Amino acid sequence: MAPWAAVLGLVALLAVGVLAIYLVSLVISPRGTLGTGPFLSGTRPQEHALSRYHVRWYAVTLVFLAFDMEMVFMYPWALVVAEVGPVAVVEMFIFLGLLMVGVVYAWREGAFRWS
Amino acid sequence: MLEGAVLLLALVGLGLSAACLDARLGGAQVGAPFGEVARLLVQQRRRTLLRDTLLLRIGVISLIVAPVLAGIVIPLGDAPVADLAVGIVWFNAMEVCVWGSLWLTGWAVNSVYPLAGAYRLVAQGLAYELPHMFALITVALGAGSLRMGDAVQAQQGLWFVVWMPIAFLIYLVSALAMAFWGPMSQPVGTDLAGGVRAELSGPDRLLFQAGRYALLVVAAAAAVPLFLGGGAGPVLPSWLWVLVKTAAVLGLLVWVRHRVPAIRMDRFTQASWLVLIPLSLVQLLVVGIVVL
Amino acid sequence: MVVTEWLLKRAADHPRPFVVSAEHGTRARLLGEAEIARRRWRPAEPASEADLLVICGTPGEEFEAAIRTVWDDLPGPRARVDLPSDATPPSIGQALNRAVAHLADKDAQWRDAAARAGKPWSPDADRNSDSHTPDGGSSHHGHDSHASHGQEHDDDGHEGGHHEHHMGNPGGLPMAGRGPDRDGLSLDRLHVSIGPILSDWPRGLVVESVLQGDVIQDAAVRWLGSGESFWAEPWNKAAAGHPVTRAEAGRRQAAAYLDSLGRLLSVSGWSGAARRARALRDRLLADAPRAELAAPYRSFERQVRRSRTLRWMLRDVGSIEDGDAVSRLDGWLTRTRAAIDALEDETPLDGAPPVRHTLHPGLLVGGELATARLIIASLDPEPAVAHA
Repeated sequence: MAPWAAVLGLVALLAVGVLAIYLVSLVISPRGTLGTGPFLSGTRPQEHALSRYHVRWYAVTLVFLAFDMEMVFMYPWALVVAEVGPVAVVEMFIFLGLLMVGVVYAWREGAFRWS
Repeated sequence: MLEGAVLLLALVGLGLSAACLDARLGGAQVGAPFGEVARLLVQQRRRTLLRDTLLLRIGVISLIVAPVLAGIVIPLGDAPVADLAVGIVWFNAMEVCVWGSLWLTGWAVNSVYPLAGAYRLVAQGLAYELPHMFALITVALGAGSLRMGDAVQAQQGLWFVVWMPIAFLIYLVSALAMAFWGPMSQPVGTDLAGGVRAELSGPDRLLFQAGRYALLVVAAAAAVPLFLGGGAGPVLPSWLWVLVKTAAVLGLLVWVRHRVPAIRMDRFTQASWLVLIPLSLVQLLVVGIVVL
Repeated sequence: MVVTEWLLKRAADHPRPFVVSAEHGTRARLLGEAEIARRRWRPAEPASEADLLVICGTPGEEFEAAIRTVWDDLPGPRARVDLPSDATPPSIGQALNRAVAHLADKDAQWRDAAARAGKPWSPDADRNSDSHTPDGGSSHHGHDSHASHGQEHDDDGHEGGHHEHHMGNPGGLPMAGRGPDRDGLSLDRLHVSIGPILSDWPRGLVVESVLQGDVIQDAAVRWLGSGESFWAEPWNKAAAGHPVTRAEAGRRQAAAYLDSLGRLLSVSGWSGAARRARALRDRLLADAPRAELAAPYRSFERQVRRSRTLRWMLRDVGSIEDGDAVSRLDGWLTRTRAAIDALEDETPLDGAPPVRHTLHPGLLVGGELATARLIIASLDPEPAVAHA
């Protein structure tokens, strides 16, 4: 439990630090908050900025997710390679090879270009 | 408590040194970062129309909490604040929280440029994160453990940087991207009027900048146990070696900012997936064969 | 409080200036930037980060309104400096000193802050003046936004939090309306004017754009104020019958190229090289002899030409008849070297000044904001030419 006590202590210290910055600022800066428009290089907005727009790298996110799932296997895999032996390396790289084929396919389809 | 205080002090000290070095290299006075801290502390608070204050605070504060929590697994001398058995995964997980911090910060202020900056960061994350994780796993594979301390132990004979140079280089590139620094600073780019941070003022901006430097320091510091043999070295005590090596990596990262133009993700993503990922896999394979 | 005053003083020692060049302001801007570099102040990158707004030249009515907008949104402590077109280095130094003193003046700054704190900006205040959109689709757009919003408010999830998003106009400002985007989807469109107050931005340029995300769907180019003669001054003088040497014109021209290079490098995110370009420009304009400039320029040119990253990022950006951004960069570098090499050419000047590029809005449409910024910086257009 000792390490977690140390981590809790650290988080507490950090919280005090962050709070202190806000408090110091509150005490010594001018009173009141300035209500402004968003910075638009000299003009005022015509709409709110929050808007729904096209996530153009959508295809990349899907390929990314495939690899990200693969990572879940890779962390434990890294620990047992030495014990399990060549089979572990061969299996993992067949798997990675398959994913890379997917990446090449996605590239051919233009998934990594969006502008 | 004590280890925690030491970690925080190291972060503040190294972060300020990095900021001063950056100011110096950028042609400003060395003391400029201190002036900036003073300026932000006395600055009037400012709020854009209908901003989401809660989201903004979550974003800004988590941006400094995440790197500090990532730092708990980095051995400062012989031992880290918390020597987790999955330290490398923990480091990775904390550092990815930054995606959320930036997205929330960019979204919350209800302004076009920060929103576009946040959008850029997610694209950047998709490009750098996989090579980054492969570099980390290469280290874990070489050490046969996910514990940072074990990685240091495994480098007693030979530092990982010597036989995993590609993984080290990829780690450095991803360290820049992680801290959206230098060539990878498009999310806060000048061309977007400051991107994510365009609307921040006063303590919010101060914490945002502090968090960014903390990220940079932590990214540099993690390279030491991962690739540079941790506290190993002649004469000096191990904590001092950790400090010296961290400062060297940090100095390199700060210097790169002034030497390389910004990299746009619509061009980098393709290079990352077709060059960096295959390269990191080759490196992984080599290490896998060696440890067999 | 003593602490506050001490901190104000420290902050005022390291101000973050933002230089705006208005009509007839190029000369004052160059002198101002040189003075700021000499004092080793760190310029604010976006104007919203600045505490010192430096206005060069004499802004016209619309330009002044844009400056006011930025000024009104700057949190205190803040100071504004106006440098007239005929400002001299000593007068600029004095003006900046006064501004620093003003930044450290607690009473004045607190009065300013208190006066503004109670009066937040609201869209209703300037509703009448600027609700017009460049494509004339303003009314349709407003209607559209209302309809789409009512129908889809469940999807909006979080952002609605306390934005009363059942209303069409939360906070007095409409939500974005939808329109077809580049990729054939129907998504929100924002009408955003890019410029005139941006860093590394051509003087007086406003790009009225329709944005979807960070993609420019539609763009129109407008200039505030007319062209000015600073860069063409030697040629104009020669045309008016005054004796002007090639060296003098070459010096001005090399400085113009270096100014453009500084902008392009800065927009490319390479502040180090941009600073070198500007330092060389300032030395050229301060009449440094050729012997002092040739070697540093060569070294700068080598560094920029050698950067593969820069070429990778600029390739195929803003391709027009005479090439892309890379070829324009190379052209500037080559011509600057030629001009510096000819700095001792005392023969009389003839011919016309080099023509600057124009900016066709079509070039920006369909690109990302980042690409648009690079295209504009790599052309570094001027209004006089754009009108011609």
